Amino acid sequence: MADTPRPAPVPDAVTAPFWEGCAQRELRIQECRACRFRWLPGSVVCPRCWSDAVTWVASAGDGTVVTFAVYHRSYHPAFQPLVPYVVAVVELAEGPRLVSNVVGVGPERVRVGMPVRVEFQSAGDTALPVFRPVGEGD
Amino acid sequence: MPTSARIVGVGHTSLAPRLNRSAWALQAEAARAAVADAGLRPQDVDGLITEPGYSQGVIEGITPHFLRLGAMLGLNPRYTSSEVLGGASCVAMVQRAAMAVAAGLCNVCVCVFGDAPSMARGTWSYGRGDDSAFGLFGAAGLHALAARRHMAVYGTRPEHLGEVAVAFRHHAGHTSHAQQRAPLTLGEYLESPYLVEPLRVLDCCLISDGAGAVVVTSAERARDLSLGGIRIAGFGQAHNLTGLAGADYLTTLPARESGPIAFGMAGVTTDDVDIAQLYDCFTIVVLMQLEDYGFCAKGAAGAFVAGGHLRLGGRLPTNTAGGLLSEGFGGGMFHVIEAVRQLRGECGARQVEEAEVALVSGHGLGMNTHATVILCRD
Repeated sequence: MADTPRPAPVPDAVTAPFWEGCAQRELRIQECRACRFRWLPGSVVCPRCWSDAVTWVASAGDGTVVTFAVYHRSYHPAFQPLVPYVVAVVELAEGPRLVSNVVGVGPERVRVGMPVRVEFQSAGDTALPVFRPVGEGD
Repeated sequence: MPTSARIVGVGHTSLAPRLNRSAWALQAEAARAAVADAGLRPQDVDGLITEPGYSQGVIEGITPHFLRLGAMLGLNPRYTSSEVLGGASCVAMVQRAAMAVAAGLCNVCVCVFGDAPSMARGTWSYGRGDDSAFGLFGAAGLHALAARRHMAVYGTRPEHLGEVAVAFRHHAGHTSHAQQRAPLTLGEYLESPYLVEPLRVLDCCLISDGAGAVVVTSAERARDLSLGGIRIAGFGQAHNLTGLAGADYLTTLPARESGPIAFGMAGVTTDDVDIAQLYDCFTIVVLMQLEDYGFCAKGAAGAFVAGGHLRLGGRLPTNTAGGLLSEGFGGGMFHVIEAVRQLRGECGARQVEEAEVALVSGHGLGMNTHATVILCRD
């Protein structure tokens, strides 16, 4: 059986700048020029003050693991070879949170509060921002 | 604004992995049983509120669920709607019915939930937009993230999650229509395989074909009926629509806000609650609700359940028919039905003596929606 591709991101008018950034190996977050709030995922207005003055800025890519789950079964054939794999919520140093994967270490070594740094995995026309524990080789 | 609306009838089908009947047929059977239980006739029904079942799709083309079910039931009601709050829908339907009755929009309102996942082509293990690129699928993954965070922050242990599953299975042993009645030990729980760690298979609700319904009417109309009904004393809702973007999402449920609204309307406190029917799609959600409703301090739910307080005879007998985890997946409507039966005193071996005040909750769409209702026997 041919390998089933992983589900790819489907950029829309709101999220396209995020995925264009990933394609260029840049993790982007949104910032409000009116109140300086920063967030993900992309929105059409500032979710705090409703200003239209919304812009995309680059994150430094440093964060911590807020929590994580270890998938022991796959719900999609593309993930079957990856089991057990780690889905994590990462909080960036700039504040926003995103769903991602922790890579480079086995699931048993992942911890809540662990410092991580972004790297990118090619995925079709874009790349996925995933996170590797800081100081865990490359 | 305390309402005087009452639940005067309950009805349901059996719950099983496969009933070989369409969701429509199950929904119709539940509605018929609830109306008969109330001592009413189909011609008396002038309100219809529905939840189509998560595996059925909310809308077929441009036909909302209430339209086709209403047509098959031959209804031209004065009030109708379908609720789309996921697992919070059934409690929200009771609220909507109470408001419609209180406002005089209708007088005999039937609320119906039914699903037949064995007949559906869809899946419950859906992806969530672009998060599926990272392998986040299904409600289990999201709740596993919450469970891991709860364990890391509060020291909650697998045995605490296990006690929820074991206690509800014990209750299901006294429930003739429950899908899983065989006794369950903590050891068996701990040996069950991980699905999405830290959640095991036995942390997850059952998947069932089945339907449930209740009939809501005014206090005036209820006086003419033999059962008299159970009073819908208070209710509230709160929702977390920002999801993972917000700091609270994985640690605190909107129960923290919907609870005080419902308690305030009913004029009761947690101390007055005799039984709880808490939405239990996953064990972790029961722990979080105990904290966020204020039955124990934040972070203390593990110790609370370890004390046996969820069990019959405990401080807060909870999910006394077995819940989604063992009675079967009744969408939350079976939680309402069990509360009504407990308050009527009909529950036999699992009856909680002197049960007068019940809290029923619904939680859905991941961890985004929440609804609370307080029911009173008076």
